[in-house]
Amino acid sequence: MADMTAFTWMIALPLLAAPVIYLIGRLVRPDGEALTRWAALVMLGLTWIPFAIAASDLNADGVQTYTLGTASLRLDDLGLLLAALSLGLGTIVVFYSGPYMAADDGQEKYYASLVAMVGVMMGLGCAADLFNLWVWFEAMAIASYLLVAFYHEQPTSLEAGVKYLVQSAVGSVFVLLGIALVLSQTGTLDLTEIRAAAPESSIPLLAAGGLFLIGFGVKAALVPMHTWLPDAHSQAPSGISAMLSGVVIEAGLVALLRVLSALVGIGASWGELLMVFGAFNMLIGNLMALRQTQVKRLLAYSSLSHVGYMLLGLGIAFYAQQAAGAEGGFFHMLTHGMMKGLAFLAAGALLYALHASMGDHGPLTISDLSGAAQKYPWAALGLSVAVLGLAGLPPLAGFMSKWQIFVAGFETKNEWIEALVVFAALNSVLSLAYYAPLVNALYRQKPSDAVLAGGPLPSLMNVPLAVLGVAIVAVGVWPSLLDWLSGPAGRALIASFGF
Amino acid sequence: MTDWLIVLTIGLPWLGALAVWLTGDDRPDQQHRLAVIFSVLAGITALLLIPSTSDSVALRIDVGSVFGDFTFVPDGLGVFLAAVATVVGCLAVVFAVDYMDGEKQLGRFYSFVLLFIGAMVGLVLTGSILLLFIFWEITALTSYALISFHNDDPKAVAGGIKALVMTSFGGVGMLIGGLIVYAYLGDYQISTLLSRADELPSGVLAALAFGFLIAAAAKSAQVPFHTWLPGAMEAPTPVSALIHAATMVNGGVYVLARFYPAFEGVNGWTTAVTVVGLVSALMAALMALVATDLKRVLAYSTVSQLGYMVYAIGVGDIFASQFHLLSHAVFKALLFLSAGAVIHSVGTRDMREMGGLGKQMPFVRNVFVVGSLALAGLPILNGFWSKELILEGGLHDGPVWAYIGMVIGAGITALYTFRMVWLVFYSEPRAKLHVHPAGQMMRLSTGILAAGTATTWLLIGLFGELLEDTLPFHHLHVEAGTTLLGDVLTAPATYLALGVVALGLLAWWFRDLLSGVAASLRPIGDAAAADFGFEWLNRRVALWVTTAGESLRTFQTGSVNWNVAGIVGALIVVLVILALGA
Repeated sequence: MADMTAFTWMIALPLLAAPVIYLIGRLVRPDGEALTRWAALVMLGLTWIPFAIAASDLNADGVQTYTLGTASLRLDDLGLLLAALSLGLGTIVVFYSGPYMAADDGQEKYYASLVAMVGVMMGLGCAADLFNLWVWFEAMAIASYLLVAFYHEQPTSLEAGVKYLVQSAVGSVFVLLGIALVLSQTGTLDLTEIRAAAPESSIPLLAAGGLFLIGFGVKAALVPMHTWLPDAHSQAPSGISAMLSGVVIEAGLVALLRVLSALVGIGASWGELLMVFGAFNMLIGNLMALRQTQVKRLLAYSSLSHVGYMLLGLGIAFYAQQAAGAEGGFFHMLTHGMMKGLAFLAAGALLYALHASMGDHGPLTISDLSGAAQKYPWAALGLSVAVLGLAGLPPLAGFMSKWQIFVAGFETKNEWIEALVVFAALNSVLSLAYYAPLVNALYRQKPSDAVLAGGPLPSLMNVPLAVLGVAIVAVGVWPSLLDWLSGPAGRALIASFGF
Repeated sequence: MTDWLIVLTIGLPWLGALAVWLTGDDRPDQQHRLAVIFSVLAGITALLLIPSTSDSVALRIDVGSVFGDFTFVPDGLGVFLAAVATVVGCLAVVFAVDYMDGEKQLGRFYSFVLLFIGAMVGLVLTGSILLLFIFWEITALTSYALISFHNDDPKAVAGGIKALVMTSFGGVGMLIGGLIVYAYLGDYQISTLLSRADELPSGVLAALAFGFLIAAAAKSAQVPFHTWLPGAMEAPTPVSALIHAATMVNGGVYVLARFYPAFEGVNGWTTAVTVVGLVSALMAALMALVATDLKRVLAYSTVSQLGYMVYAIGVGDIFASQFHLLSHAVFKALLFLSAGAVIHSVGTRDMREMGGLGKQMPFVRNVFVVGSLALAGLPILNGFWSKELILEGGLHDGPVWAYIGMVIGAGITALYTFRMVWLVFYSEPRAKLHVHPAGQMMRLSTGILAAGTATTWLLIGLFGELLEDTLPFHHLHVEAGTTLLGDVLTAPATYLALGVVALGLLAWWFRDLLSGVAASLRPIGDAAAADFGFEWLNRRVALWVTTAGESLRTFQTGSVNWNVAGIVGALIVVLVILALGA
C-alpha cells in the first residue's frame, strides 16, 4: 500500500468527516444540530489544504497516482477541475445553508450527506478504472437522493426523489452493461489500458459507448434523459439545487468524458453525437424555460441549455481533437457553476424570505418577485447578475466562456459547426426572453403581496451571494483568471485520447 | 496622455454610475448633482481627445487566452462620435434634472444612463472587434433597462424586451464577424480585418459582411428590424433623446462606415446597404406622416434619417453619412428634449390632444422649430448641409432610382415635420391641457442644442480633415470645408431637393385643397399606420416561439414511465446511429 498523498487526503477528509458530522448531530445534546453546520464548514475548510498541496504537486510532478490493491486513483487536471468546482461550490453552499436550514429538522443528515457528496465527487474525478468510476458515480447518486428528498414530508419532494432514483437507476444499469461489454472485449477495466486494448472497430464496444452515453447522460441531463431534473432541482433545498445544477450534472458529464475518451479510438463519431445532444439541450432547455412561472423550475431548465453549451465545446474537442473546445467547455462548466450556483442561492434566499421562513413550502413564482429589490437589494442584485451572466451578456463570466466555445467552433472552419455556433448564439438571445423579465420583476416599484408580507433575510446569507457575484464580474472582466483550471483540464482531456 | 484621456472618458461615467448608485435613492438632489458632474467631466475629456486623434493604438490591454488584445484607437471617426455621445449625454443628463425630478428610483435611472455613456464611448473608440461586441451588448442592456424604467407599466416592459431581443439578435451577426476574423486571421483587431480582408475566402467574407449588415440594421433600427424603436419610446424622454436618437442607434451606421473598406468589394453588399437605407428612409417617413404620438413621429423620423446615413454608406459616401450623423445627433436630441419638455408639461404624448401650445411655451416652440427646420433640411441649419451632401453624393455615385427615392423622402420629411410642428404648437387648442412652463435646466440644455443645430455645420472642415488623416484604410479625399459648402450651394441637386422640400411644405399648407389626393392615397396611409405588416410579422415570430415552448410542455409528462421510455428510446436511437455510422 502506497503512502497517502495530498490528493487522497483531499478525497478522504470529507468522506471521513461525514459520519462524524452525523454522529455529532445525533449524540451531542442539546445543540448537536447547530454544531453540525460548523463541523461541516470546518471540515470542508480543512479540505482546502490538501487540495492546494495536490494542485501544486500536480503542477510540479504531473499526474498523481495512488494504488490500493488493484484499484487506483489518478489525479489529473480534469480531476482537479472537478475537485475545485465541487469543493468551491460545496464550501459556499455549506456556509449558505447555515442560516437557510437553521430551522429545519435533520440537519445532521443534510450536512453529512452534503459533505460526503463533495468528497465523492472529488473521488469520481480521480477514478482511473471503470469499476471505480461506477462505484463513485453510484455513491454520488446515493448522497444526492437523500438531499433531493430532504423535505420528506412534502409529497412533491418525495415524488422528485423517486423520479430521480428510478431514472438514475435505469442509467446505472446501462452503464453497468456497458462496463460488462468493455470488460468482455478488452479484458481490462483500466481506462488507459482499454484505450490501448480496444480494436479499431468493434460493434460490442460501440454498443458499450452508446450505453455509456445514455447511462451517464441521465445524470448529465442530456435531452431526452433530462426529465428527472426539473422536479429534483426545484424541490431540493436551494443549496442542494445549486450543487445539483452546478456540480452534480457536471460530474456526470466528466464521467461520460472519461469513458468516451477511452473509446475514442474505435472510430465512432462521439464528437458529432455530443454536439447533436448539445443542440437539443440548448433548444429544448430554452423553450421549456420560456413558459415557466416558477423561478427554480425556470433555472432548472436553463441548466439543460447550459449543459448544451458544454456539450458543444466538448463535442468540438472530440470532433477536431483540439484542446480549444474542451478548454471552452470546461471554462463554461466553471462559470456555469458560479452563475447557476448564485442564481439558485439568490432565488433560495428570496424563497426563504418570502415563503420558507413563513413555514410555507410553496414554490417561488416570478410574480412573487415583483419589487423584491426594495426589500432585499442584495439578493435581487445577486439573482440579476447571475441570470444576466447566464444569458451571456458581457462583461459577465458567462459571456467569456461561451465566447471561448464559439471561437473553438469557428477554428474548426467546418461550416456545419459554424452553423451550430450561430444556433447556439441565437439560443442565448432566446434565453434573454425569459431572463430579462425575471430581472425586470425584481426591480418593479409596486411590491407583490408576498414581498410585502415577507420576513427578514439573515444578513449572513448575503455573504456567499456577494462572493459569487464578485467572482462572476471578475472573471467576466478578466477571463484568464480561471485559465489555470480550465486550460490544463482541456489539454488533459485531449491528451487522454492518446493520439 | 491619450491613453489616460480614453480611460477617463469611459471610466468617469462608469465611476459616476457607481457613485449615484451608492448615494441611494433617499438623496435625490445629490444624485442629480453627481450625475451632472460626472457626465460633464466625461464631455470635457472627450473634447480634449480631439487634438490627439491618431490612427495608432493608444491603449492596449493583453487579455490573453482566446480574447486577444483589447485596444483603443482614437481616430477621427471614433473621437468625434465619442464627443457626440458625451456632450449630448451630459445635455440629456442636465435636462433630466428637471424632467426626472420627483421620480422614484433615480439611482437606477442615472446609473444606467452613465453606464451607457461610458459604453458608447468605448464602442466607438475600441480597435478590437470582440471589445466592440462587448460594448455593443452593454449599450443594448442599458437601453433595455432604461426603456423598461417604468417597469410597472406592461408596455414599457414589453418594449424593453423587444428592443433587447431584436438588437441582440442582430448582435449575433457581429459575433459571427468577430469569430470569423479571429479564426481566419488570428486576432480581433479591426485594422487586421481592414488590411487583410482579401485573405478571407470569398464566401466567408460575404458571411462576415452581411452579418455586420444585419447587426447594423438591428441596432440602427433599419428595415426589417426597425420595429423595436417605436416601442422604445416608453423610455423617459431624455433616454429617447440620448440613446434612441443621438447615440446608440448610430452604432449601426458607425459600424458600416468603420468596416466599409473591407466589405465594399463583396458582391451585392453595397447594393444591399443602399436598398436597406432607401426602404427604411421612405417607409419610416410615411409612418411618421400618419403617427399621432409625438414621440413615435420622432422615432420614425429617426429610422428615416438613419436610412439616409445607411444609404450614403451604400453609395460609398462615408464622409457625408458621418457628417449627417453628427447633424442628426444634435438636431434630433434637440427635438426629443423639447418634445420631452412639452410632454412633461402637458402630460400626454398624443398630438391630437395638443395644439396651440406655442403661445404658452414660446421658448420650447422656438427651439423645437429650429430642430424641425434642420430635420426638414432648410438652410442654413446643420441638417440642410449634411442632407444635401448625402443627396449630392447619391446622385454622383449611386443608382438614379435610389436617388429619386431619397429626394421623394426629403419631401415627405418636410411634410411630416410641418404637420408635427403644426399639430403641437399652432392651430387651435384641441383639448384643455394644463401647461407648466419648462424648467431652467430644460431651457439650458435645449438652448445649447439649438445653438448647436445652427452652427455644427461650421465644423465640416475640421471633421473632414480628421477623417481623412486618421482613417488609413478608407482612402477618403475630403475637400476643404469652404469648398464643400460652396459645392453644396452651387450644385443643381441642392435646388432640386429644396424644391421638393418646398413641395412638402406646400402640400401641408394646402392640405385642404389636396384632400382628394389624400383620400386616394388612403391605402398607403393605412398600410403605414399598420407598420407595413412588420409589426404583425414580429408578433407571429414571438407567438410561434412561445407556442413551441408551450407545446413542448406536453413532453414533460411528470410520469416516471414515460420518462424511462424516453431514456430507452434515446438509447435505441443512439445505438441505431452508431450501427449505421460504423
